[in-house]
Amino acid sequence: MSPISLSRRQALAGGMIGSVTALLALAGCSTDSAEGSGRLLTIPREDMGTFTRNFNPFSPNSAPMTAQAVYEPMLIFNAVRGDTVPWLAESWEVADDGMSMTFHLREDVTWSDGNPLVAQDVVTTFDVQLKTLGGYDYLDTVSAEDDHTVVFTFSRAYSVALYELGQQLVTPDHVWSKIADPAKDTNENPVGTGPFTEIANFQAQSFDLMPNPNYWQKDKVKIPGIRMLAFAGNDGANLAAINGDVDWAPQYMADIQTAYVDKDSEHRHYWFPGIGSTIQWTLNTTKAPFNDPAFRKAVSQAVDREAVCLTGMSGYADPVDTTGMGEGFDEWKDPEVLESPLCTYDVSAAEKALDDAGYTKGPDGRRSNPDGSELSFSISVGSTSSDWLSVAQIIVQNLADVGITATVDSPDWSEVTSSLENGSFDTAVCWSSVGATPYTYYQSAMSVDKVKPVGEQTFENYHRLGDQEATALLAEFAATFDEAEQKEICKQIQARFLEIWPVIPLFPGPEWGAYTDINFTGWPTEEDAYASLSTRSTTTVLILTSLEPRA
Amino acid sequence: MSYVLKRLGFYLLAFWASITLNFLLPRLMPGDPVSRMFAKGGAKLTEEQALQLQQLFGLDNRPMWQQYISYIKSMLTGDMGVSISRFPSPVSEVIGSQIGWTILLGAVALLIAVLLGNLLGIIAAWYRGGFIDSVFPPLLVFLGSFPYFWLAMAGLYVFGTGLGWFPLRHAFTAGIVADWASPAFLADVAYHLVLPASTIVLVSLGGWALGMRNTMISTNSEDYIVMAEAKGLKRSRIMLRYAARNAMLPSVTSFGMSLGFIVGGSMLTEVVFAYPGVGYQLLSAVNALDYPLMQGIFFTITAAVLAANFLVDIVYVRLDPRVRTA
Repeated sequence: MSPISLSRRQALAGGMIGSVTALLALAGCSTDSAEGSGRLLTIPREDMGTFTRNFNPFSPNSAPMTAQAVYEPMLIFNAVRGDTVPWLAESWEVADDGMSMTFHLREDVTWSDGNPLVAQDVVTTFDVQLKTLGGYDYLDTVSAEDDHTVVFTFSRAYSVALYELGQQLVTPDHVWSKIADPAKDTNENPVGTGPFTEIANFQAQSFDLMPNPNYWQKDKVKIPGIRMLAFAGNDGANLAAINGDVDWAPQYMADIQTAYVDKDSEHRHYWFPGIGSTIQWTLNTTKAPFNDPAFRKAVSQAVDREAVCLTGMSGYADPVDTTGMGEGFDEWKDPEVLESPLCTYDVSAAEKALDDAGYTKGPDGRRSNPDGSELSFSISVGSTSSDWLSVAQIIVQNLADVGITATVDSPDWSEVTSSLENGSFDTAVCWSSVGATPYTYYQSAMSVDKVKPVGEQTFENYHRLGDQEATALLAEFAATFDEAEQKEICKQIQARFLEIWPVIPLFPGPEWGAYTDINFTGWPTEEDAYASLSTRSTTTVLILTSLEPRA
Repeated sequence: MSYVLKRLGFYLLAFWASITLNFLLPRLMPGDPVSRMFAKGGAKLTEEQALQLQQLFGLDNRPMWQQYISYIKSMLTGDMGVSISRFPSPVSEVIGSQIGWTILLGAVALLIAVLLGNLLGIIAAWYRGGFIDSVFPPLLVFLGSFPYFWLAMAGLYVFGTGLGWFPLRHAFTAGIVADWASPAFLADVAYHLVLPASTIVLVSLGGWALGMRNTMISTNSEDYIVMAEAKGLKRSRIMLRYAARNAMLPSVTSFGMSLGFIVGGSMLTEVVFAYPGVGYQLLSAVNALDYPLMQGIFFTITAAVLAANFLVDIVYVRLDPRVRTA
């Protein structure tokens, strides 16, 4: 090594440090170039570390806002109020025999490229959907009667179809009929009917959505655009919200009152309506003692749902009632079923029920199975869900109070999910299905069609319990389009649910949502529940077309 | 030459072993990516859709050995498949778009830590017992023993949210155009680099300084140093040319090894500061059970570590005559 090489290295090092310092000095004087006169509505996405430029609505991992701001459905179901908002379709009707359904599209809708919305667009949309992702097994044909009328015919009467068909995102025929492999297309420059269709400034960690120049409700678009920010977890997204860098915080935040709202209580608000899927304690009914309805009912009364919600869920959720349904379904609930004590915390009733069912206490105060074998089991929860973990711990404590030994098992979620799917778990705290009508919830909870034998992969009804009577009632429900009749049948289904008690419902899942109105006003609230505060629901477009910049 | 060939053989073996592990590990994880996606979406996919997705992603149910053969084949041809969580982007594209940030962050932090750490070590050893020697090494070891995650969060909290001196996230300000020819953009990138890079420097500095200090101290007692002093050479010349140059060898080894770890080493930093890069990408790949992407990233890290080590071996032959005869 010559002496020169060392000095060259020193020079290099010096130069590098020097240039970094210079860059820093430059950075100090540069101003925040992003903020102009019109601030964009800034929204974090907490589960995507980086974005991919994929605005394909048929893709399972399309960029955020594809389904909320770029493409629109024919109708929007608002789960908080349980009502329906006509959107691309202004009206619809059902044939008397329930075998077909007609949607009338609005006549004033144009795509972002200026072409008018026509019935053929809907027909092509369903073609592509069936080809790429499937679904709609009851659908026979989709046809365009005239430019603004679409007719769907069914292979069997299926009333829930209204919400499923109506909420399908509509894509333009003149674009998608020319795409050879729609499942693999990234659709980088989407043509949609939504309020924000122009993609600007696409970067791995942020992108902007600018207004659709041809939007059909132009007078409702008052915000200059949307800016999405990427985060690989809640922590980063929460930090951005707490620091006031984003306008909307749709992710879970622990102790939101202190961490977020109290920092600026005049402008910051949160609202967590219980419209998500019902969170339940799922018991594997292929194993003893979980196959015994008397056992399920007894332990249900042993669970202190108030404590579960207050302590486990930090008061963000409210206890479920005996129908198992969430807050949006109040008018479906049967008052008689609601009177049942199965969801009411009552230790002595639980002890008596266990005694009666043969789960007697031994001299050590611990109960055993009727056949004398030891009664103990685990409750599985994914290790990352700290709130559900404390829910499980409360249940363990509640069970100990009545003499039952349970333990919390908390591996990674993928391990829990796979044990749920193949039926090897004991019990778990997990989610249920939820839809626009009670049908979806009860179908996945009780229909024999949804039950798979242990070992075969299933994606719902993890508890593996089907009931013939409930299945027949569900079929009746699906076959009628008369809402009064549906409600009558739903009452019978609820009575059946109460009788067999297939799962132990805990609380309706809250839908997270917080915002600051420092830059934008017009947010939905508990009093004006025109949408939930989710950024991933079909109701999100209602918020995007209601917000206004603060004057 | 035979030494280099022997090393090369060893590296090929290590490479084979690690890509085989890359193949096995994700497959030993329970669950599959589609049901993972399903669970995340709160049960919104139907069973039929789930099956269709499994098919779309090409999740195969072939016997393990067949999967292994096609895996080795595709690894050798550089085809890493299609990412599941970012379908339909190919894995190589996902990694390619992120690795630049990781290298930027890792290289800047490593260079600063090595230069500063070695310099501190040299000075501390030379003025043994002096101010620098009694204050810095213990302080740096203290800082370095903090859980890295905690230190990064504390830095973010104090200098990001508290004082507001530095940005909290991302590699550059959202909404500005990435133009590498514009000084304003470069300044923005450097500004965003300060917090993540300096926390890495802070944690690793102690190791470099202490290592250098200790070898310097033993070098200082060598006869040729005494001889140089007796000759009346300039002290700075003895310190840098005589002592430091010979004490540098272990540092060169560590530097080479760290060079390889640049690719995979700053994962936690990237997570805390939401800094883009393959570490960040690896986290989301694991969360989504995206096997092809996981394999691709592990493959890249493995290749980088082995290549860097091999390079160090070759450089070492040149630097230290003793290995040539070994």
